[in-house]
Amino acid sequence: MKRLWVIIFNLLLCSVPTLAWSAEGLDIPAELGKKVDLTKLSGINYFFAQWYNDNMWVYAAIVTALMGLLGLTIALVTDVFLKMIGMDVHKIEHHE
Amino acid sequence: MGIFDIYLPIAGMQFNALILIAIGFSVGVLGGFFGVGGAWVVTPALNAFGFPMAYAIGTDLAHIFGKSIVATAKHRKMGNVDMKLGLLSIVGSVIGVEIGARNVMWLSELGKTAARPDGFAGPVVRYTYMVMLFGLGTYMLYDYMTKDKRAAAQAAKVAAASRAGITLEPKKGWQLPPMIHFPASGITISFWTVTGVFLFTGWLSGFLGVGGGFIRMPALIYLIGCPTAIAVGTDLFSVLFSGAYGCMTYGVKGRVEIIAAVLMLIGASIGAQIGVTAVKYIRGYGIRLLFAIMIILAGTSVTLKQLEFKAAAQWMVMCAALGMCLVIMIKLWNGFKKEQAEKAAYAVKEVK
Repeated sequence: MKRLWVIIFNLLLCSVPTLAWSAEGLDIPAELGKKVDLTKLSGINYFFAQWYNDNMWVYAAIVTALMGLLGLTIALVTDVFLKMIGMDVHKIEHHE
Repeated sequence: MGIFDIYLPIAGMQFNALILIAIGFSVGVLGGFFGVGGAWVVTPALNAFGFPMAYAIGTDLAHIFGKSIVATAKHRKMGNVDMKLGLLSIVGSVIGVEIGARNVMWLSELGKTAARPDGFAGPVVRYTYMVMLFGLGTYMLYDYMTKDKRAAAQAAKVAAASRAGITLEPKKGWQLPPMIHFPASGITISFWTVTGVFLFTGWLSGFLGVGGGFIRMPALIYLIGCPTAIAVGTDLFSVLFSGAYGCMTYGVKGRVEIIAAVLMLIGASIGAQIGVTAVKYIRGYGIRLLFAIMIILAGTSVTLKQLEFKAAAQWMVMCAALGMCLVIMIKLWNGFKKEQAEKAAYAVKEVK
């Protein structure tokens, strides 16, 4: 009997997310709709600005991938550097 | 053009690179130490220095994504990330954010007039935000100030029970199956409790239009029962996913200035190393005390903004962030010196 109530209660709780579909969606920001002037740009600035103008999805993918890769690279490099200078961290004991 | 000025191709303007690195650095320290994204510091800081607001939130989210990778990796080395709990938090949070955002839309339509284009949403959200910040900060301060008294009362209770030959049962939470064990946090808890807590925190962040790191961190401590350092690391792990999603969403809308984001990430990466390492030297209640002070100052800033003192609100939040960074760095330095002294004393003892 207790198991049956647990199952019923679990099913009721599973229906809570349907509240999310009661109205309109998240307030996603509006597209800026701007084009970057490429005439005075060169190198990496030109590369980013060109994708920004041509294909926003590719620009967003480049930005996201770049930030992720940079984050990972910095994490690895600082790990190695801090280990070299004796400031590496290890597992800690959790004291409140 | 100053010597540290750099051209931002998407925003189409010159901007001081040092300011971006400095903002990133202070947010990195706070983020690494408290497990929060730090958008509440970045947006007013960028606004104060003339960064175009159209790109502020998107650029901030992009740098938060990169910074949270750096900080989470370091917290993981220290054993502060409960990945199972972090992944589960995303499920509840995403649903909660969606419900919260829709509730705000509904409030916006309610009572909408020409004089009040936001309907009831504006004032309700602002006052909820202030009540939440002050309420949470006050509770955490009270928790810190009464911790010794509560520990003494508990010890007396255990001693009295032991003298009477009674074994005190630990307080049991809601035990609706399925129960899940989180070995990293050392807790066993109902799946529905965890999901419910993150549904609530997600709802709050969707309703208030904030990232939610500063809501989730205390929720992990007080409602789930995580040790403080694990709450910090696990929260950062969740921020990583929301940062990635935000970066992509705002990127598609053309609202990310990539060069600015990279410069902020460089500063944030250095700051995060400091913030995360400081967690090693400060006990859990110390982190809670500093967090309480920080959100009370944030609440004061929001109140100033509500009272139309916008410049004062901006400067207050930046000074609070810089002041807190300084405190964290001093604590780190003192902790590091103490550790070195203990190591030296131990080495001398060994030689003898």
